[in-house]
This record gives sequence, structure tokens and C-alpha cells, in this order.
Amino acid sequence: MTTLLTINGATRRFGGLTAVDGVSTTVAKGELVGVIGPNGAGKTTLFNLISGFTPLSAGKVHFKGRRIDGQKPFRIARLGIGRTFQNLRIFPNMSVFDNVSVGAAGMLGVNAAGAVFGGKARSEAISRRAWAALEQVGLQGLAGELAANISYGRRKYLEIARALAMEPELIILDEPAAGLNDTETRELAAFIKRLHGDGMTVLLVEHDMGLVMGICERVVVLASGRKIADAAPEVVRKDAAVLEAYLGVEE
Amino acid sequence: MAGTSPAMTLESVDLEDDWHEFSGFFGPNLPVAMDYYLQQLAIGLSLGMVYALMAIGFTLIFGVLNVVNFAHGEVYTIGAFTGLVVISAFAPPLIVVLLLVVAVGALAGVGLERIAFKPFRRFSDEASLKSRAMREATLMSSLAVSIVVREAVEIGFGSQFQTVPLDRLLNSPISLGPITIVSGDVIIFVVAALMLGGLQYVLKRTNVGLSIRAVSSNPLGAKYVGINTDRTIIWTFAVGSMMGAAAGILVGLYYGAIFPSMGFIPGIKAFVAMVMGGLSSIPGAVICALILGFSESIATIFVPSVWADMVAYGFLIVTLIFFPRGIFGGARDRV
Repeated sequence: MTTLLTINGATRRFGGLTAVDGVSTTVAKGELVGVIGPNGAGKTTLFNLISGFTPLSAGKVHFKGRRIDGQKPFRIARLGIGRTFQNLRIFPNMSVFDNVSVGAAGMLGVNAAGAVFGGKARSEAISRRAWAALEQVGLQGLAGELAANISYGRRKYLEIARALAMEPELIILDEPAAGLNDTETRELAAFIKRLHGDGMTVLLVEHDMGLVMGICERVVVLASGRKIADAAPEVVRKDAAVLEAYLGVEE
Repeated sequence: MAGTSPAMTLESVDLEDDWHEFSGFFGPNLPVAMDYYLQQLAIGLSLGMVYALMAIGFTLIFGVLNVVNFAHGEVYTIGAFTGLVVISAFAPPLIVVLLLVVAVGALAGVGLERIAFKPFRRFSDEASLKSRAMREATLMSSLAVSIVVREAVEIGFGSQFQTVPLDRLLNSPISLGPITIVSGDVIIFVVAALMLGGLQYVLKRTNVGLSIRAVSSNPLGAKYVGINTDRTIIWTFAVGSMMGAAAGILVGLYYGAIFPSMGFIPGIKAFVAMVMGGLSSIPGAVICALILGFSESIATIFVPSVWADMVAYGFLIVTLIFFPRGIFGGARDRV
């Protein structure tokens, strides 16, 4: 298996607080990796470091052998990292189809002449990618709907579809189950498994332990910004440090 | 001006004798002929189209950056002066003048963005995106650029009205049934309609438009799907300023009034139209700009034309008090 993403000693300090402290791990092509940890463990910050949302204080991030930390978010995205957000960042006043098209268009880049005068081949490529992504998440029936008018659960899939339209090599899902009920969470788990089964590399930050333990091949556990475990779910479940972090130990 | 288009409302310069001729409800010569109303409506339409062109620049920029570009009126002035220079240098046909003006307008917009907006934009997270400091800084910097440009034009050309070659004025009368309009009314309408249509095409059918809409809708979301927001913002300034510059030369040739501070009043009118339309709604801004144009030209039937400017301020106050989210609220597509 080839390594896709390498995180090396990633550190992020906010003033006196070290949100992520020397975290190192790798994600291989085709893997489904979960990142868990108690509140404030630095999971989302770690994701933001990878996608260029937040600059690193120390450490390095490589993607496909190229150093990506310090690059602009849109460049990192174009290298093949798609992501979703815990608080959705869809385009509420655009149609579902246009939302997803932005993902495809962003990847194909925008340049002067070709952009203004369209370029038939290009717009066809965008529309083909957009439809494929919508079908993957099952939203093709709502393509013409305004994104603000679809249900919260569907907006989650819309955001995933937008990332998929980029045809990324790695997709990062930040707390996709947040705000979903049990049935919806189960459906989401099945969806992520299917996505992974189709060959997508997935990095998943999740609060919902059941979801992560149920579908991930490997789980990285963070506590207070540090990595305390990095192993298969059944190993992590019995890990003393993990139990301590989650359940607390009496002094 | 040839006396064909009676009361001018865009500038407070031509009081002339409309006041005596049409002195309102209490005047001696009522009822005003129906033709006159129709004529004022036609003038209101071209006036409204000009406001619409201007308002779009404001609206597009407000959409992507959430800031008001105070130098937009100067883009209008630059458009007019560019046209004047081009005409006096080699007197090309109007279409060539327009194309050159639009090109210079785009460049001015890009330059403005680089000087007054880019240095204050370092957002990559939500906090700085919503930061008031960023917004206020660009308020001041765009105001500063507008003052510098206005003064520079004044140093270069003097503060007085420029002499527009008479044959270039858009005032040949055209009879339309009972009313007489001038060629400028038609040209302004056609050019503005073409530009509005072009804008609609760019926004809905091209990648640049898709990115502009995406950045307006959610800048952070756009970044993380590979949209170069910085370049999108430059595009937005270019497109918005093209329209502003075109409005400047059209009005300049329509009224024959080209002077360094000409952009101020139309800038305010366009700003009012933007606020009325709901800040970042293009259809809203265009409709409100037309309402404003019609209201002003109708108002000049009853009050002297200097007072017609009060119509816009009145609308602004009413909008802010009763429709704080704009007449069309937030329900419409932002761009």
C-alpha cells in the first residue's frame, strides 16, 4: 500500500494552549482511518492543519510525497484532498446541482479566456462530474432544489457530494454524524463504508464512538492534543491510556 | 443639451427654467400633459439603467467581500474621463470608445482591489472573515483611494466641466409617437441591457460566475473545494468596474457633464439601490435602481430637479426603518 498522507510532528499552539502537540501518523491509499478523542482533544484542529485552514506551529504534512503545509487551502484541495465541515459550509442560496458543480469547477481551475467563454468540453466535464457525485450520494432527484431548502441530513450528503465532485484521492469528513439521529447515523455509516469499498481513502473525525469503531480499519486516538493510540479498533478499545482518557481515572 | 430632455436629475446643475414651467400642483399650467409624463418615464428608464449598472458593481463586491467599495463612484469618473480622452485623441466610433472605457474600467477595478482591499484581506478562518476591523479598514482605504483619484483627476483636468465635442453628445432627438426622446436614452438602454444580460450569462453559465456565486455564498466553503477566492475577488472587481465605467461615459455623453466629482451623486444613488435591494441581491439592486430612476424623473415634474435627489435619500430612510433587510429581504439568490 502506498502512503498518501504523512503527518509528521504536527503541532499547533494558540497562545498558551497547545491544541495539537507533535502528532504523527500516516494514511495509506485505500484506508479508512478514524480520529477520535474527548472534547477539546484537537481532532478538528488536526483536520484544519491538513487542509490548510490553520497554519502549523511546527511539523510537516506531506500528501503524495509533496509538502502541503503552508500552502493555500484551494491548492491543497486541488492536489486531491476534499473535505467536509462539522458546521456545514454549503452554498445555501445556490441550487444543489450548482453546489456540486463548484466542487468540479474548482478542481478544473478557473482561467481567463476559457472561463468567460465557457469551453464546451469543460462545462460538460463539470456537469458530468457533478451528476456522478450527486448519484453517488443519492441526491440526483433534488438537483434543481435550492440548497437552503433541503433537509439538514441531506445537506450533509450534499457537502460530501461537493467534495466527491472534486474527484479527490483523500476525503476528510469532520464529524459527519453531528446532529444526525440514530437511523441517520447508521445510514451514514453504511454510506461511508460503501464509499470506502469503492476505493476512496477516508479520514474521519467523529464523536460517535460506535460509528468509528464499527467502520474504521484503524483508529487514531487523541487526548489533550497528543496521540495516545493508533491501532485497529479492537486494540484501541482495550488500550489502558484510551480508557483513562475517556473514562477518567481517580486521582 | 438642446432642450430635448427637460429636467435632469443626475446632477444638480441644470435647474434652468423647468421650475417655472412646471411648478407643481399649485402651479398655473396644470394639468401637465400626458406626453410629458411619458417622456419623463422614458428618461427615468435610462436614469434607472445607469443606476443599475452602478449598483451592480457595489452589489457584486459587497457579495464576495461583505464590504462597501467607496471608490466605486471614481470608477465611474474614470470611465467618463477615459472616454473623453479617447474621443479627443482619435475620435473613434462610440462602440470603440465604449470598449476602451470598459477595458480601462476593468483595469481600474483590479488596481483598486490590489491597492485598497487585498492588503487588508488575510482571512483564512471565520474570525478574520467576520472581523469588523477588516471591514472598517477597507472602508477607509477605498475612501482614501477615491479621494486620491478625484484629486488627481482634478489636477490633471481642472475641476470645471470638460468640453465634450458637440457632435459626440448623445442628444439627437428621436420622435416616438407623442413623445420625443434623445439618442442617449436609447443607447443607454441598449448598452445597459446588453451588459446586464452579459452579466447574467457570466454568473449563471461560466466558471468565473460559478466561483463568484460560490464565494458570495460561502467563502470558506469555496476555498476548500479548490476555488481560488483571491482570483475570484479580482474578477468581481473587474466585472463590477466595467459596468461602473460604462455608466460613467454614457452619462457623460448624455448630459455633456464630465467633471472630477461627477461620480459622487450616482455613487450614492447606486448605494441606495443596493441597500434597497437587500445588499447582495443583483435582481433586487436592478429593480430598485429602476424604481429610483422612475421616481426621480417623475418627481421632477412636481419639484425642481435639485430636490429630486431627496427621493433617493427618502427611499434610503424608509428602507432602513421598515425593510432593514432590503425590500426583497434575504430570500433571493445573492448574486
